[in-house]
Amino acid sequence: MSLRQKLLLLLSLTVAAAVAAVAWTVLTRIRHVFEQRDQEETALFVSQFQREFQHRSAEVIESIDHLAASERARSMAFEMVQSGDAWPYLKEAQSLAQLAQLDFLEIVGPDGNVVSSAQFPARFGYAEPAAARAGADAFLKREELPDGSAALGLFAVRPIRSAEPAVHLIGGKKLDQSFLADLPAAPGMTIGLYAADAGKDSPALFDPASFYQGGGLVPNAPRYASLIQAARQTGRQTTAILSLGSRGEESASVTAIPLKSNSGAVLAVLTVAISRAGLVAAQQHIRAIAYAVASGGILLAIIFSLWITARVSHPIEQLARAAEEVAEGNWDVHVPERGRDEVAVLARSFNRMTTELTAQRERLVQSERVAAWRELARRLAHELKNPLFPLQITVENLVRARALSPAEFNEVFDESTRTLSMEIANLKTIIGRFSDFSKMPRPQLESVDAAAVVQRVRSLYEPAADAGIVFQTELPRDPMPLSADPELLHRALSNLVLNAIDAMPSGGTLTLSAKPLDTLIEIRVADTGEGLTPEECERLFTPYYTTKQHGTGLGLAVVQSVIADHGGTIAVESAPSRGATFIITLPKAPA
Amino acid sequence: MSRRTAISCLLLAILLAGLAAPAAARTRPRYGGTLRIETVGDPWQLPSGIARRLVLDGLTTLDAAGNVRPALATDWQSENAGHRWIFRLRPGVRFHDGSPLTTIAVVASLNASCPSDCPWTSLRASGAAVVFSSDAPMPNLPALLAGDEFLIALTLSSEGKTPTAATGTGPFQVTGFSNGVLSLSANDTCWQGRPFVDTLEIRTRRALSDQRLDLVAGRADVIEVPAEDARQARQQHLLLLASPPVQLLALEIADSGPLANPNLRAAIALAVDRSALANVIFQKEGQVAASLLPQSLSGYAFLFAPERDLARAQQLRGGITPPSLPFRVEGDGALQLAGQRIALNLREAGFPTQLNSAASHPDLVLRILPIEFPAPAATLEQLFRRNDHPDPVEDNPAAEYKAERGFLDRKTVVPLLHLPRVYALSPRVRDLALHADGSLDLANASLEASP
Repeated sequence: MSLRQKLLLLLSLTVAAAVAAVAWTVLTRIRHVFEQRDQEETALFVSQFQREFQHRSAEVIESIDHLAASERARSMAFEMVQSGDAWPYLKEAQSLAQLAQLDFLEIVGPDGNVVSSAQFPARFGYAEPAAARAGADAFLKREELPDGSAALGLFAVRPIRSAEPAVHLIGGKKLDQSFLADLPAAPGMTIGLYAADAGKDSPALFDPASFYQGGGLVPNAPRYASLIQAARQTGRQTTAILSLGSRGEESASVTAIPLKSNSGAVLAVLTVAISRAGLVAAQQHIRAIAYAVASGGILLAIIFSLWITARVSHPIEQLARAAEEVAEGNWDVHVPERGRDEVAVLARSFNRMTTELTAQRERLVQSERVAAWRELARRLAHELKNPLFPLQITVENLVRARALSPAEFNEVFDESTRTLSMEIANLKTIIGRFSDFSKMPRPQLESVDAAAVVQRVRSLYEPAADAGIVFQTELPRDPMPLSADPELLHRALSNLVLNAIDAMPSGGTLTLSAKPLDTLIEIRVADTGEGLTPEECERLFTPYYTTKQHGTGLGLAVVQSVIADHGGTIAVESAPSRGATFIITLPKAPA
Repeated sequence: MSRRTAISCLLLAILLAGLAAPAAARTRPRYGGTLRIETVGDPWQLPSGIARRLVLDGLTTLDAAGNVRPALATDWQSENAGHRWIFRLRPGVRFHDGSPLTTIAVVASLNASCPSDCPWTSLRASGAAVVFSSDAPMPNLPALLAGDEFLIALTLSSEGKTPTAATGTGPFQVTGFSNGVLSLSANDTCWQGRPFVDTLEIRTRRALSDQRLDLVAGRADVIEVPAEDARQARQQHLLLLASPPVQLLALEIADSGPLANPNLRAAIALAVDRSALANVIFQKEGQVAASLLPQSLSGYAFLFAPERDLARAQQLRGGITPPSLPFRVEGDGALQLAGQRIALNLREAGFPTQLNSAASHPDLVLRILPIEFPAPAATLEQLFRRNDHPDPVEDNPAAEYKAERGFLDRKTVVPLLHLPRVYALSPRVRDLALHADGSLDLANASLEASP
């Protein structure tokens, strides 16, 4: 990643992080404010609900007191106790309830059994335990209805005093939709009442038909199931954020308030749902602003990073590119030097370094060239000195032979001319080798089989080798195609084979092998001769270096040159008395 | 006897005659006037629609003792051991439109009123007689033909047109129907003689509370009073006319589906608290019943024990908890209340119910069955036929008991209460009696003259 990209990324991340931090802080603060407001509104509603509850309780108690004191009820109770017959009063509760505008009314006889029920007329004769609460305050009670459902009501019990034992009136009013509609709900607040019996506590048995609000059944009622269940199970007020639709603004902060009987059993759950639409809208607004600010900040970061790049990173990039060129061998590189800052100092230092490096390389090349010439002169002197000495001796012999008889002179002359011819031929050979090394041709590449090249070399040199040398070849059956010049490759392998033969004057085994590697073909030429020392191995491919008495030191240099021209490598593995192995790797021919 | 004594006797006689004369005048029916009747239901509906017996006659009729009497048929005889019956028509009888009563008209009427599941398998006119034939014996056919179901109506007029209103041979004929009031006028040429009142106005589908107000306000002469309200009506000093038990409150139990097991049906029968129904809901105006026929009719009803045994019911249920049983109550008021009470009883026994379910074939039905005939065998046969059990019943107590016992042992019909029919009358109605089935005998009623 470039410095420019790093700068851009860093600045963008900084801006984004700063905006995110500010947005998160604002969102948290807003949520906190809204939650506090919801809690306050819920607390206010709960207190209003308790006041309304007390007010309704007082109404119910007053109605029952009034009814119990009425002449009609007193006469009925008196006659009932006197006659002992309850059956004539089957419908009395209905008319009394209508008179007192009560939703529920039951007349309970002295035996504690229902005489007449306004809400469930068929329930006469059944025991009503609530009659034992006579005189107590109003209480919540779930009342069974004929259709199998149950209704929640606020009840009070009063005895009718005209008869002993007492006949009781149990009357009440429903806590239903109209009750909820009368509650003072704030805007955005929805009041619900879940009044199913305890058997429907679990979310699986949640009964949406028992969950109503002022205007009818609560929509999306099943989403309240778990919260209502929690409130019923713990018996405590429980608050949660509920998603009431697919959109975020359809969520609400819902508080479930358990409504309990005097015994502490939870009879119903009042839910106060405060819409979070305002909070969600504010959050969305703030998020939109944050996104806009972040986008603008990132844009500014891009511009700023470009400017910074122009001022700071561009010279550094130029330095980096120049350094790469130096690493690639191009030392003649200079970078602009602008200003006086650290980057300018760095640029000047870099330029001085490349200048020094270039000068040193020139000096090194010069000295190497001189050394090469000296070495060449030394080799030439050495090579030429050997044939010159016989030439000088022969010429001196001829001069001395002038004093001999003609016959002896002719004999010396003939021998001397043969010797001169031989040495001159030797000089030509030496000169030819030097000439060949200087004129190494470029390889003409074609597809050849490595095995065929190896076999050709063996077939050429095996017959001419001493009897003590055994040739071995190790070749796979599959072809090993190479992209190579067959003549040059043959020449290189021939040099290695001749060297191997020379290394085994007392005989031995010469092994030629080839095998395919991943993308390469490996050819090995191994002998069982005296081997080489590590120092010899290091210098073996240096031109004009030889371990032989009459070698030119150019053979292995030619081999290395040929292999290098083919894109391959050559190495040697050897140890004293353990022979030497030359390992050539060449790229496979493309398929 | 001295002369003084004779004169005294003469004066006393004159005085007694003078006192007796107004009394004799008061007991003599008066012709004329309009009798206003109000009813909750449809006056033509079966069974016991109030207008049916006023406009239509049957081939036979039953007296209060349950004996079959001639009506449009003067005599009848059975052949082939009750497999074939021949009824001879009363001559000279005419429908309200003037067309004569013929055997063809009788056959057409009976075919129209009973297109299938009839007591007979074939019916034909043969001269002045109507011949009924069946593969099974029809021992109670003369009594059955007295029922509302087989009253004779004109199906085709002399011009070959379908009459616009019900046309029969009864004491009254239809003159109009407007604003829910069916108007009938006296049939001057009725073969039974002209009724005393000139017209009848039957206000239909009138709520019971409105009927009570109309009677008290003098806008109605005869109204219906539900049995459970009879005690209250007496306390209000209304003039009541009550029949003996002529209705059976019964719980019908389906013998298929979840209640195919007879033990479950028996458990349901044992779970119902009849005394609570009779004493409280029907305010002691009904009689607890375990038999189809009341004791006064059959004489053997005491042999059926109306006991409630909740423990036995739960034992018979054997731990089986059937699904919520659809339970329909055919009626309102006290019947709905009785349905709720029975549902409570059944819940105690472990049978959840779904009251007033909209199911087309509910498992439980609470309804009132009419005991239309004072003849036990005919009544049983008719009740059996209503429950797809059309076996003839021989006209003797042992056979009747056996047939009823066999029918009730299936536990598809559980008798609960026998109920009377009750009417409240205005003081100006005179000589109003009830037929044996509890319906009003308005043909013999008359009205006091207006003051």
